[in-house]
Amino acid sequence: MIRLENVTKLYPGSVKALDDVSFSIDKGEFVFIVGGSGSGKTTIIKAIMREIDITSGQLYVEGVDITRIRRSKVHKLRRNLGIVFQDFRLLNNRTVYQNVAFALKITETPRRTIRKTVPMLLSMVGLNKKANMKPSELSGGEQQRIALARALANNPPILIADEPTGNLDPQRSWEMMKLLQEINMKGTTVLVVTHDKEIVDAMKKRVIALRNGRVVKDMKRGDYVHEH
Amino acid sequence: MSIRTFLYSLTQGINNFFKNRLMTIASVTTITASLFVVSMFYCIVVNLNFILEEFEQNIGIAIFFEEDVVENEILTLKNQLEARDEVFEINYISEEDAWKTFKEEYFKGREDLLKGFDNDNPLKGSASLQVLFSDISQQKVLVGLLQEEEIVRFVRESQEVTDIVQNVNSLVTYTSVVLIVILSIISLFIISNTIRLAIAIRKREIRIMRYIGAKSSMVRGPFLVEGIIIGLVGATIPVIVIYFFYDNVIQKISTEFFLLRDFLVFLPVEIIMAQLLPISLIAGVVLGYLGSRVTVGRYLKV
Repeated sequence: MIRLENVTKLYPGSVKALDDVSFSIDKGEFVFIVGGSGSGKTTIIKAIMREIDITSGQLYVEGVDITRIRRSKVHKLRRNLGIVFQDFRLLNNRTVYQNVAFALKITETPRRTIRKTVPMLLSMVGLNKKANMKPSELSGGEQQRIALARALANNPPILIADEPTGNLDPQRSWEMMKLLQEINMKGTTVLVVTHDKEIVDAMKKRVIALRNGRVVKDMKRGDYVHEH
Repeated sequence: MSIRTFLYSLTQGINNFFKNRLMTIASVTTITASLFVVSMFYCIVVNLNFILEEFEQNIGIAIFFEEDVVENEILTLKNQLEARDEVFEINYISEEDAWKTFKEEYFKGREDLLKGFDNDNPLKGSASLQVLFSDISQQKVLVGLLQEEEIVRFVRESQEVTDIVQNVNSLVTYTSVVLIVILSIISLFIISNTIRLAIAIRKREIRIMRYIGAKSSMVRGPFLVEGIIIGLVGATIPVIVIYFFYDNVIQKISTEFFLLRDFLVFLPVEIIMAQLLPISLIAGVVLGYLGSRVTVGRYLKV
């Protein structure tokens, strides 16, 4: 589903954000990518969604080497990836409903389908009663759930969440994890980037640990890898 | 671009046009102001050219002939000259016509003084051909050719006037071309900056669209539509203003410069509009399109 082969990313000034990183994630897996700040977690997400170009190596998503796709075709890759950004990236001048519908609109979904799908997504993340509110009127956790609903709108085979519990209290964090697990049970490959040790330890899922741009551990049912 | 993308761009573009009121007003005002200046200048140039052309056509030469030349020879030459492109109009004035005009001009009311001339034409041998040019720059060449004709006694020309008119004409043309080019460049610059600002305000939205899988055309479409609408509206306003005020201004000029009334012939507003309307609308669309196209491109690279 996602395969990195000897991926290296150098930022200007020869900063090695990723250093010969290789791993692969199969369909239906639930994977944590952990590591401290500067470990390369965010760079991996950016590389997978082709927000940045990697310096060397190969990166396959759904069997396609994404380093070779043209910029004008990047949208096809991104439609296969539902991404929940750490800063949510919501449109604050539109309602909750419109934010979710927006993702369907831009993929040219027929209006009738949009009208059916959006309420379903909103009730899944528990926001159907707040459909007409603006994101700024909602809490951080709720905003994140809008972002999740939007990421799932086009039914992507892969869901990526960047620090989904970063702004949440423990209880809300668990609710979010439960939601992600449910989504994973339905067959979606889930990739969670986090530094939330408690969550990782409790979930007992596959953990890929990064440090200074290198993979230091890849465990099938792992714990958070402590930095020394 | 699929139909759905097109419709989305159209509705979204129109929505944005009305929603971003402040930006819209700023952009439209800028385009209106720029195109208004260009249009006004265009009107002035077109009319000046028209006036000069009219004036040119009233400057001509007169060809006089040797005494032994018979009317038929003159008429043959007239036919030859008529066939030339640069000749706009040619009139044969016989000795009789010349004498008649002379009498009317100088002896009006004193016909008694003419008694002695009853059957005598003092202007014998003064038959002439009056030539008016459609292209005054050819005058010199033609005069040269005529002077070599055996039957031609002399050619009266008005080279100084011709030279002045021609100089003024080229001066006006060159200055106007330069000014219109400069003004257009300035307009393009101002407009693209205005649109750049309008888009910069929404770069977040553009980025989000790209992150969640929008095609480039989907992102670009609404902005292009918005840019084109802004351009069209901005181009239409000056045309409408000129349409309604053109006649008033002409009227005013004609009364102010009463003495020049005979020289100041203006083109009717319909003719001005027939050229100005399409030029303005195309300019508006092109300016709006280019302005937004260039600017959106920058934010698509995510």
